[in-house]
Amino acid sequence: MTLKRRFFLCSRSALILALFLAPALYSYSADSAVKVQLNLKKAGPREVESLTEQGILRDYRLAWTSMAQALEFNTPDPLEGPFAGEAKQQLLQTVAQQQHSGLSQRYVNQNHRVEGVFYAPEGDVMELHDTAEYQLQVSDGGRIIHDENIVLHYVVLMTPGADRWVIRHLQAVQQF
Amino acid sequence: MYRIILIGVIFAATGLAGAQDLRVPASVTAGEDATISTTGSGRATFYLLGPGVSSKSDVSLGEEIHLQARELRNAGDYVAIVCSSTCQGAGFYVTAAKPASLTFLVHPSRVPVSQGDAVSGVALPFDQFHNLVLTPVTVTFQMTAGNASVFSRQVRTQDGAAWFRTSSGKSAGVVQVVASLEDLTARRAVQQVASDPCNLRIKGQRTAAGILVETEPVHDCAGNVVSDGTIVSFTATEGSSRSTVDAPIKKGVARAQIEGKGEASISVASGVVMGNELRIGAKP
Repeated sequence: MTLKRRFFLCSRSALILALFLAPALYSYSADSAVKVQLNLKKAGPREVESLTEQGILRDYRLAWTSMAQALEFNTPDPLEGPFAGEAKQQLLQTVAQQQHSGLSQRYVNQNHRVEGVFYAPEGDVMELHDTAEYQLQVSDGGRIIHDENIVLHYVVLMTPGADRWVIRHLQAVQQF
Repeated sequence: MYRIILIGVIFAATGLAGAQDLRVPASVTAGEDATISTTGSGRATFYLLGPGVSSKSDVSLGEEIHLQARELRNAGDYVAIVCSSTCQGAGFYVTAAKPASLTFLVHPSRVPVSQGDAVSGVALPFDQFHNLVLTPVTVTFQMTAGNASVFSRQVRTQDGAAWFRTSSGKSAGVVQVVASLEDLTARRAVQQVASDPCNLRIKGQRTAAGILVETEPVHDCAGNVVSDGTIVSFTATEGSSRSTVDAPIKKGVARAQIEGKGEASISVASGVVMGNELRIGAKP
């Protein structure tokens, strides 16, 4: 085998490996960029079980990761699953309008301090208060037109689905 | 406010501020028009981003930008950006309008009578654009059986939610559970069913095919007829052999045909409730 052919095969293998690894690396970095601190001690009247708390933490972080992907790449696919109801409708609408206007949004370095404030007696709805801090970058056709570090307060309603907790309502407020 | 200060600092620091400025409203009610004022002159591009909104349009600096009600239907955080040679942004909030509907969750849909803390409900007020109304409002919860009020309580919403929990009533039948807020009403029905059987009694007789046993009409301790479909277990002991037949209650009575020719002792149970024991003589 000639040196040239070896080099060609190595390059091709590296390229294939990179193509396979890219999505995995991306989702890891996107997910790890979302930090969530969850405190459900004040949620009531129903007591939150440990497995429920783990589920909320996992699904809330995934929801923000998915939302960031959807709004950055203007694709509705990541919204399937983590969102339902009004929250999903609004996000789908945003993505559709961004596709039309050529805008996109990046949520960078997300930090969420989340507190449970209400957990229904039968466990069918949980209300969370999220103090979210992140860098918001707005681009028009790839040109950044707005870049700011913001702290926002979100009121969140989550409901249990078949295999996960879904965000049904996500509403930013001036203060809790 | 934090956002506005921060944006100002960023742009002042980079020397970009001054070309144009924009003044956004401090807060807007969902579904109402709003105005953003700008300074400067010449053409610019205006961007509005918010929940369900991402728009871009041409504007003239120095003139007011009118935001239409349909652009501001969703409560939440909005960002307005004006770009000419540089970009300037500011944020504002849209808050929910007055309540226009109540989401009312009631559990369970079917409940045994006289159970403590067995019925619960949660009410969440939303405005006409489906925004959660966070301003405290008073929700009245009522439970009625026929024309009789079983339960009534007024609860102030906290963080947009009001809830109650109460015992089920004493009589089987449909109970209406209502949540009301001013002229808004949400209604749910809960079927109260008899509780566990009480004083379970059986009678029996020998027939050509074996032994026919049946219960007397099955009631709970409050006198409600136990629901059809409730399983009653008949156990026959004949010498050293033992057999069990499960029979559902139909029209208040459970019946079973048990095979056997010898003297038999028959007992009855439903759930954890035991009834009387019956002795049937051998077939002559």
